[in-house]
Amino acid sequence: MSDATGFEPKIVAYVCNWCTYLGADLAGTNRLEYPPNVRIVRLPCTGRIDFNLLIKTFEMGADAVIVSGCHPGDCHYTAGNYHARRRWTMFRELLDTLGFEMDRIHFAWISAAEGKKFQQFITETTEKTRALGPYTAYREICEASR
Amino acid sequence: MSDVIAKDDLLRLVDQWLAEGKRVLGPVKAGDGVILYAPLAASSQLVLEGFVHAANSIKEAVFPRSETIYTYKFNGHEIELSDVDPDSTQCIVIGARPCDAASLPVLDHLFNWDYKDKFYNARRAATTVVTVACSEYDDNCFCTSVGLGPAAEQGSDAMLLKAPDGWYEVRAVTDKGTALFNGKTTPAPEIKVPISDGPAKKFDTVDIETFLKNNYESDAWRDITMRCLGCGACAYNCPTCHCFDIVDEGDAAGGRRVKNWDSCQFGQFTVHASGHNPRAVQAQRQRQRIQHKFRIYPEKFGAILCTGCGTCTRNCPVSLGVLNTLEAIAAVARGSIEVK
Amino acid sequence: MIDQLRQTCRKLLEEGAVKVVIGYGQDKPSMMPHPVFITKPEECDRLVWNDLCFANLAAYITRKEIKALGKPAVIVKGCDERALVVLEQESQFTRDGIYVIGVACTSLPASGVGNPRAAKCASCAVRTPRYADVTIGEAAVGSSAVGSSSCSTADAEFAQLDEFMKKTPAERFAYWKAELSRCVKCYACREVCPMCYCNRCIVDKNRPTAIDTSATIKGNLAWHIARAFHQAGRCVGCDECTRACPAGINLRLLNQSLAKSVERAFAYKAGMDKETPPVIGSYSLEDKENFIQ
Repeated sequence: MSDATGFEPKIVAYVCNWCTYLGADLAGTNRLEYPPNVRIVRLPCTGRIDFNLLIKTFEMGADAVIVSGCHPGDCHYTAGNYHARRRWTMFRELLDTLGFEMDRIHFAWISAAEGKKFQQFITETTEKTRALGPYTAYREICEASR
Repeated sequence: MSDVIAKDDLLRLVDQWLAEGKRVLGPVKAGDGVILYAPLAASSQLVLEGFVHAANSIKEAVFPRSETIYTYKFNGHEIELSDVDPDSTQCIVIGARPCDAASLPVLDHLFNWDYKDKFYNARRAATTVVTVACSEYDDNCFCTSVGLGPAAEQGSDAMLLKAPDGWYEVRAVTDKGTALFNGKTTPAPEIKVPISDGPAKKFDTVDIETFLKNNYESDAWRDITMRCLGCGACAYNCPTCHCFDIVDEGDAAGGRRVKNWDSCQFGQFTVHASGHNPRAVQAQRQRQRIQHKFRIYPEKFGAILCTGCGTCTRNCPVSLGVLNTLEAIAAVARGSIEVK
Repeated sequence: MIDQLRQTCRKLLEEGAVKVVIGYGQDKPSMMPHPVFITKPEECDRLVWNDLCFANLAAYITRKEIKALGKPAVIVKGCDERALVVLEQESQFTRDGIYVIGVACTSLPASGVGNPRAAKCASCAVRTPRYADVTIGEAAVGSSAVGSSSCSTADAEFAQLDEFMKKTPAERFAYWKAELSRCVKCYACREVCPMCYCNRCIVDKNRPTAIDTSATIKGNLAWHIARAFHQAGRCVGCDECTRACPAGINLRLLNQSLAKSVERAFAYKAGMDKETPPVIGSYSLEDKENFIQ
C-alpha cells in the first residue's frame, strides 16, 4: 500500500446520508475493496456541509477532502445539493485565490446504486493524493501556530 | 558631552544583533505601505524616519497577541499537563517612539499586581528598548497632555535623537541601554540635538478625571460614542491596553491553553454564562475604556493608562479614539456642548 | 449641494418624518469625516459632504443602539446603497421603516496611493443611488470606468484580482501567509461591514469552537476564509473592511474573488437589483459547474 517513504494519505470524505453513504454501503455489501485511507463522515445532506468543516479538516492534518452527495434531481430534501453546488462553485474560487492546492479538494455525485463508482472514486482520489504527497504547506501553517 | 552613531553603523549593529540570535523588533513597511512594528529579518527592512507613528504598538515584545501558557494531552482518562517555559529570548526594540516605550512601566504595575505574570516578566527582563525621539507629530498626537513628550525617557533603555548628516545622538537611559551601545558610539561634544516641544496640550487630565468621577451615568457617553462600531482596532494597537482572554485550543488528543488579546469594546467581552451582559450597549463599553484609562487605573496604580500616542484615533474607522472622545468630554465639561 | 442636503434633513426632522439622520460630520478640520447622528433640526449644520466621506452608513441600520433612536434617515452613496438593497432582501429592515437620502458622487476621488476609495471608484457603475427617497446632486460625467480607456467596467473592476491570479498557487499561498500573519483579530473588518450583522459571529462561538480565536496564522486563515465566504454573493464591494484594517491587509482581493465568481457563474451582482433573488439563498437547475465528478 505505502510508497517508498511510507506516506499514507489521510482523506476525509463528507458524504450525505441518503445517496453517497448508501453507495459506500453498497460497495461494502458487494465486497468491493477500496483503500482504507478514507475516513467517512456522514451528514444529512450536502447542503448541510459547512465550509468550515473543510478548513477544520485540513487543520487536523488531512491531505485531501471529499464532498459527495446525491445527483442533481435526487436530493432527499429536494434541493440541498443544488444549494451545495452553488456554494462550492464560489468556495472553490475563494480557495483558489488563497492559493490552496485545489487537487486536494474533490467533489462527486454518487448515488445509492453506485457502489462501483464509490469504489473507483475513492481509489482514484487516494492514488492522486498519494502522488501529491502530504499537504506540507498547510501542515507548516498548523505547525507554526502551536 | 554627547555620544553619536552613524546611521550605517546603527544598521550594522542591528544586523549584528540578528546574527547573535536576538529578536529585533522595529518599524517596517508592510503590505500597502502601512508602517508596523514587526520582527526584523534584516536591518534593511527598518524604517526609522518619515512617519509619525506605526499603526500598532511595541507591546507584542512583552505581551504577544497569542501566547501558550501550558499544553495538555489526554491519556485515556488521565490528563497530562505540561508547563511551557516563558520566552526569555533576548529582544531589542529599535525605533520605538517614546510614547510606546512609556507604556512599559505602566504595564509593569498590572502584570505584577496580585499575580506576577511570569510570561510577561521574562519577556520584559529580556527586552531592551531603543527609542527615537520624535521630531514630528500630527493632529492625533497628545503625549504632552498625559505628562509625556517627544523625548520622554520613561521605559526607554536608550534614546536616539536625529542629528544632521546621518548621525544619531545616543542617550543611554538605563544600564541595559549603556551595555547595548558600549563601544559603538563616538564622542561628539559639539553635537547637541534640540528637542521639539511636541504637540500643544489638548486637555487637562485632572479635569478629565473629575468629569469621569462625577459623570458615570451621563448621557454624554451615549452622544459622544454613538458612532463606535465596537471593533478592537483601538485596543489591539494601543500600547497600554492589556486585556486578555484565556481559551483552550485543541482536539480529542490534546491541545493548549492560550492567552489571547481581548478588548472591552467587543459585545461579547462581558457576557455572563447566564446570558446577561452588564455592558449591554456600546456606550457603556466606550465609557469603560475611558474610565479605565483615566480614572480606574490611576486610582489603583497611580499611572494613567494612556501615553498619548494617538494610535487609536488614527486606526479608528469612524475617527473616535481616546483623543476625540476626551476632547468631546472636555467640551461637555466646559459646557460648550449640550447633552441631549 | 451641502445646503440642499442640510435643508432636506432639517425638514425631515422638523416634520417628524424621521427621528434621526445618520450622516457625515467633521468635528474639526484635522479629522476624517465620520458618522454623526442628528436628532434635532438645528443640528443639521453639523452635516458635511465631501469625497472623504468613506464610511458606509448602512452598517448602522441593524445596530440596536441606533434602532433605539427611532426611524432613521440614512445618507448613502450609490455604492453604500447596494448594501441597503442586500439588507432589505435579507429582511433586516422594512423599506418604509427608513428614509434613504441618496447623494450622487459629484467629484471623483483622486486616485493613487493612500486613497482607499480610488480602487472601487475607478470602476463604479452606481455613482447615483437608484432606490433613494430623495437624491441630491448629479453624478460626475463620464462616470464609469474612469482611467481606463479600452477595457470594460467589469474588466477594470477585477483588474487587480486578474493580475494577482497570474501568480502560481504556491505564490498566492505564500502571499496570504504573509498578509494574514499581520492580522491581530481586532475584527474591524467585521464591525464596519454592513453585512456582518449576526448577533454572535461564528468566530465568537465556542461550543464548539469552529475557528481558533488565536491570532496565529492558522486561526487567521480560518477566520478570513469564514469572513470572506459569509459575504459570498452578499458583499457589495464597499471596501470598508480594507479601509478599516489597521494592518493594511488586502481584503478587497478576497471579496473580489467571490464577487467575480458570482458574476461569472450566476450572472449576479450583489445589491444591484432588488428583484433578483439572492444568489446564496436560491438555485437554478441550470447552474453549471465543471468540478463535480
